[in-house]
Amino acid sequence: MTADGVYVYAIIRAGRRLPPGARGVGSPERSLRALRRGRIAAVVSDAPSDLRARRRDLLAHQELLLLLSEQGAVLPMRFGMVAGDETAVHGQLATREAEYVGALEHLSGGVEFNIKALPAQDALAALVAEDKKVRRLRDELRRHPGYEASIRLGEAVAAGLRRRAAEAGQRALSELTPQARAVTFGPEVRGCVLNASFLVDRGASEDFRGVAERIARTSRDRMELRLSGPLPCYSFVPAEGAAVRAQGA
Amino acid sequence: MPATTYSDEVVACPPRAGTLYDVLELILDRGMVIDVFVRVSLVGIEILKIDARIVVASVDTYLRFAEACNRLDLERDSGSTTIPELLGGGAAKSIGKRKVRKAAESVGDTVRKVVGGGDDDADDVDDDEEEQQERPRKRRAPTRSGSNRRRPVEA
Repeated sequence: MTADGVYVYAIIRAGRRLPPGARGVGSPERSLRALRRGRIAAVVSDAPSDLRARRRDLLAHQELLLLLSEQGAVLPMRFGMVAGDETAVHGQLATREAEYVGALEHLSGGVEFNIKALPAQDALAALVAEDKKVRRLRDELRRHPGYEASIRLGEAVAAGLRRRAAEAGQRALSELTPQARAVTFGPEVRGCVLNASFLVDRGASEDFRGVAERIARTSRDRMELRLSGPLPCYSFVPAEGAAVRAQGA
Repeated sequence: MPATTYSDEVVACPPRAGTLYDVLELILDRGMVIDVFVRVSLVGIEILKIDARIVVASVDTYLRFAEACNRLDLERDSGSTTIPELLGGGAAKSIGKRKVRKAAESVGDTVRKVVGGGDDDADDVDDDEEEQQERPRKRRAPTRSGSNRRRPVEA
């Protein structure tokens, strides 16, 4: 039953048992199996024929990776990777075995934490008190209420909120970086002034969280800091495509 | 003390699992890629990425902030006179308190009209995961005639 291909969730060390009860994407949820090749194995299921980035399937992907990463090192795949058949998966594992083993070692004992900083939206009073330009534009608007004046004021407020949040985000970054084995910046997310991922020792997770929570509390009038983790190390896996593309360029 | 214009965001750390929104771009844009494998089409996923609370540069947002800024002053006006920094801007000096108050009142009326349906705000800041399911989120910005043409293509 692999007419629609093989959905690949992750690469793990060979010999690990799959978490009992864990299920894959699709409705009904596809059952999981490990395709072993040498020292590594791919966690796969049949791919549903109508696979899309649905909430349900995104969650299934995420939950399985969380379970797997709780038990040991994992190379998480990006959502939606589908191989033509099992032979293709075996071929890939055979070709890249050494590299994948190295990557698993590198990530061993590590988890990812992601922080996103957004402008605090209830920081208007603080902004007005601090920002001369905003005060000036507000006064202009009061004298001559109108559409253009409103736009100018609103623009200045939005910029001011972003600036304050970005400054706080940079301070958070410099405080959190020493707590991590590695840092990387995530894809740009609309509205975020900072999106960074940290590779943290699993044993240091609580400390990391504690520092982040303290920063969130102390700078809440500047930014809304959102912390996610511990997560599978999405942001610290080897980038296969990059080297190939670089060669081609 | 009247409530601020925007519901107070709880600056907290969301639980590690289950809150899809915060890790969505990691699941979709990070993680390992194998070039010889096919990637499922992500058409339609943009809808999931929209969070109504974020500060997006748009006319609607600017107008909302402008109104909020003025309403903030009104609240101070009525509730307290002990924050001279907020009350006594350049306007007070140049055109006098009464005039300011009058202008502020007329803006206040506008605010009430525009923000009147403020219940929407409360609904939308609710970080309800179900809200983020595969349908466009309703706009939380106040509706204004003529603002449609400026709306960013989001949904």
